[in-house]
Amino acid sequence: MRRKNRWSACFSAGLMLFTAGIGLAQSKPKVAFVPQIVGIPYFNAMEGGGKDAAEKFGVEFVYTGPTDTNPAEQLRIVNGLIDQGVSAVSLSVLDASSIDPVMKKAKEKGVKIFTSDSDAPKSEREVYVAQALDQDLGYTIIDELAKRIGEQGTIGIVSGEATATNLNTWIGFMQQRAKEKYPKITLLQPQFAGGTAQRAFQLATDLMTAHPDLKGLIAVASTTCPGVAQAIESAGKIGKVIGTGYGSPNTVRAYLKSGAFGFSVLWNPRDLGYLTVWVGKQLIDGKPFAESNTVPGLDQPVKYDAATKVLLLGPPTVFTKENVDQYKF
Amino acid sequence: MTTAFKQIRFSGLLVLWLIALMVFAVRAPAFFTLANFTSVLQFSTLLALVTLGQTLVILTGGGGIDLSVGGIVSLSGLAIASLIKAGTPALIAGIAGVVFGGILGSINGFLITRLRLLPLIVTLGTYYAYNGLALALTGGAPISGLPASFGLLGQDAVLAIPLHTWFLVAPIFLVMLFTLNQTPLGRWIYAVGSNEKAARLVGLPVDAIRLGAYALSGVLAALAGLVADSWLLSARPNIGDNLELLSLTATLLGGTSIFGGSGGFAGSLVAVLFFTSLQAGLQMLNVNSIWQLGLVGMFLIGSVLMDRMIRTAEPK
Amino acid sequence: MNWKQWLFGRRELTLALACVAVAVFFQFLSPYFLTADNLTTILRNSVELLLVSLGITFVLATAGIDIAVGGALGICAIFVGWSVQGGWPLAVVVLIGPLIGTGLGLVSATLIVQGKIPPIIATLGLFGVYRAAIFLLLGGSWISGLPDTLGPVVNTTIAGIPLTAIYILFFYFLGWVVIRWVPLGIAIRATGGNERAARLSGISIGGTKFFVYGFTGLLVGFAAFLYVARYRNVETSTGGLIALDAIVASVLGGTSVLGGKANLLGTMFGVLLVRLLQNGFVLIGVPSLWEQVITGALLIGVLILDAWAERRSPNYTRWLATR
Repeated sequence: MRRKNRWSACFSAGLMLFTAGIGLAQSKPKVAFVPQIVGIPYFNAMEGGGKDAAEKFGVEFVYTGPTDTNPAEQLRIVNGLIDQGVSAVSLSVLDASSIDPVMKKAKEKGVKIFTSDSDAPKSEREVYVAQALDQDLGYTIIDELAKRIGEQGTIGIVSGEATATNLNTWIGFMQQRAKEKYPKITLLQPQFAGGTAQRAFQLATDLMTAHPDLKGLIAVASTTCPGVAQAIESAGKIGKVIGTGYGSPNTVRAYLKSGAFGFSVLWNPRDLGYLTVWVGKQLIDGKPFAESNTVPGLDQPVKYDAATKVLLLGPPTVFTKENVDQYKF
Repeated sequence: MTTAFKQIRFSGLLVLWLIALMVFAVRAPAFFTLANFTSVLQFSTLLALVTLGQTLVILTGGGGIDLSVGGIVSLSGLAIASLIKAGTPALIAGIAGVVFGGILGSINGFLITRLRLLPLIVTLGTYYAYNGLALALTGGAPISGLPASFGLLGQDAVLAIPLHTWFLVAPIFLVMLFTLNQTPLGRWIYAVGSNEKAARLVGLPVDAIRLGAYALSGVLAALAGLVADSWLLSARPNIGDNLELLSLTATLLGGTSIFGGSGGFAGSLVAVLFFTSLQAGLQMLNVNSIWQLGLVGMFLIGSVLMDRMIRTAEPK
Repeated sequence: MNWKQWLFGRRELTLALACVAVAVFFQFLSPYFLTADNLTTILRNSVELLLVSLGITFVLATAGIDIAVGGALGICAIFVGWSVQGGWPLAVVVLIGPLIGTGLGLVSATLIVQGKIPPIIATLGLFGVYRAAIFLLLGGSWISGLPDTLGPVVNTTIAGIPLTAIYILFFYFLGWVVIRWVPLGIAIRATGGNERAARLSGISIGGTKFFVYGFTGLLVGFAAFLYVARYRNVETSTGGLIALDAIVASVLGGTSVLGGKANLLGTMFGVLLVRLLQNGFVLIGVPSLWEQVITGALLIGVLILDAWAERRSPNYTRWLATR
């Protein structure tokens, strides 16, 4: 009888420890990120960075997003995450004008909601984790292109979805910069290729045909980079038309080497994802942001602008034939 | 025999739903919260309204189908939003938008009944035309900044049920269900769908019924656009994307025959709720929504196969 | 017959005239339109659609439909891409697309023939499954930066005629021979025209349908191969809703969705007309956003034209009788 009692005591103690252990394990706060669309290398890189950060900072990382660039879908997912009990949720905003409903709900439930990669500046998001300022992105690409074509000529733009707010913002800044600083450059109206290399190829080729003296082609959206570069190669216009775009080193390496792309402008999406999760943890812990923050795991300190509540990863990086091999993403 | 199939396909869907719910109960208990319940209803309204229209069109037979619903949702949503931004009172804008949707739907109906063109191709053409117009006229940019007061319909809820469910989906569904099952018009719809020749011989206004179906489909799509506008406080040219395939799948999953003449709104609504709750649940399990596409595709095929097996098993 | 029927009775003729009219219009507004380069570009951009539309025309002729071709194209492209990455022998790379495509086509056929599922439902369901499969296979990333080993396959020209044009002509010729001269072709049209009657007269409906969907799959697989060779990139959206474009092209070309006839030359001109318009609009500076509207207007215009020329589909009354 006594032996049984001892055994049952040990057993119940063990059981209690076990359930406590599970309970503790489940009490890791969840930080979520919702991209604009799943299944493209750019956001996959962000996911990778997010996972690394989660491991390092002791949170659980949730990555889920729409399969089409559909803002209603994205809302639904964010909504679901809030219901699910994540502590912080971030999203790369598809439609800046329509995330107010979830903002309200998040605040009600005490869930920290913030944006990353693409912003909704007029909303009540806690902070915007920016890869680079939209203005810088637009200006840099025009500046670099202008440098290479002698500040005059016609430049074409091949964008992805016509409904993507962040792409349109960058185009807007490109147009502004060209008008202000380079009067001898004609920037053509953007053409929209949707998400396929084929359409980007087709549009880029047609643009080169319509304007035989075309000097540059800008591929806005990482999805259009391969198509545009291919088009320049197939048309035999390497050197005559300078291609460029917001493409990652891995995507554009071959084209930088072949000369179809003169350069590419980007930031490190992995770092952005990493930073995003760190930000989530900071928000959950209630830690404010200093003007310059050192983030363990990132090389450079991250600047914070309290007026606009924007956390900046850093200036855009320009990738060229010379430096592209240093980067592995 | 037809009612038996309706019941079997219907109950098959219910069984699937039950299985899904049980999985969620075990793995994602957050599913059974009131908040989730509200969310599911919130997100299902667009699809529900459009599916009801699609079901009606398919019921009237003659190869009836409406691929342009997505375009009508987007285009009417845009129309309503621009009217409101121009200062029109919300109520007038809403009514105007709904009438607009009805007109768009009637264009379909007219081409199909007057010119005797095939619904599949006609609505394919209007799908391109309406979607294209929405994109081209806005340049892809949304019309945003609608006044917060307009958000009442789309965003608020009473007793955990969204307002647009109370005031739009529920009443419309009940009226349509009643009309279909309890009135002569309903019987005529079934008659036209199952045997057009006979219906004509008996003197039923086949063309008028079909024209009406397409017009109503347009009206419902416009209402969906209104709800979307109110909910997001902005109108996007691509808000209606994919709704045509989804509403078609929901209609078929709900037991309506693609040939017309059998099925009904109850099954369609169940299918819509099934979809939306499945989406919510899968998401809680952190399953990528792409799987849902595959699963739904398999359900669709599976349910029809089940039908066939039962039909061949039944003694003639 | 009256002049209306003469001019518009032969759809290929109407479309060819339309293509000429469009070309003249664009040439007037942009001197770059009628250059050899531009025309070659248009042709090269139309390759996949031409092949898929040929298959769809056959499917439509049997009064069937295949919405899943876009998904099938994506899946085939993934396998072709992998085989290029893996450095497999050329023979494998060339054949793997058509092989898998045919396989997928046969899956559709099985559901439709053995499962007796209406084509629209079967292929709609399969489309969802294929799209999920593409995500699963790609693991969320793309296949990009493929080496240009397949370049010669798509880029060479023989006596000024691009090799791709020869592929197209070969398949269309093959299709034409089948439809016109081989008993199978008659079986295809009969199945579409009046399935019950066809079955009663001894035609193997099942076999016919298997052929039609399998052949479409083959074409889709080959189109995938050409896609990878040309764009050297496979992304999750590859393929997409090409089924709808193919249906538009076929219907423009005079093939009826009710089945019973197949106008291959018409389909070819249908594709060309759509692509000409797309290219031309970019050349004259119209935003590409207007393309969809043009396609829709074309389609509806053609349908109304049909009705006006009193060419109400003769199959419609027959089709009514079979319901």
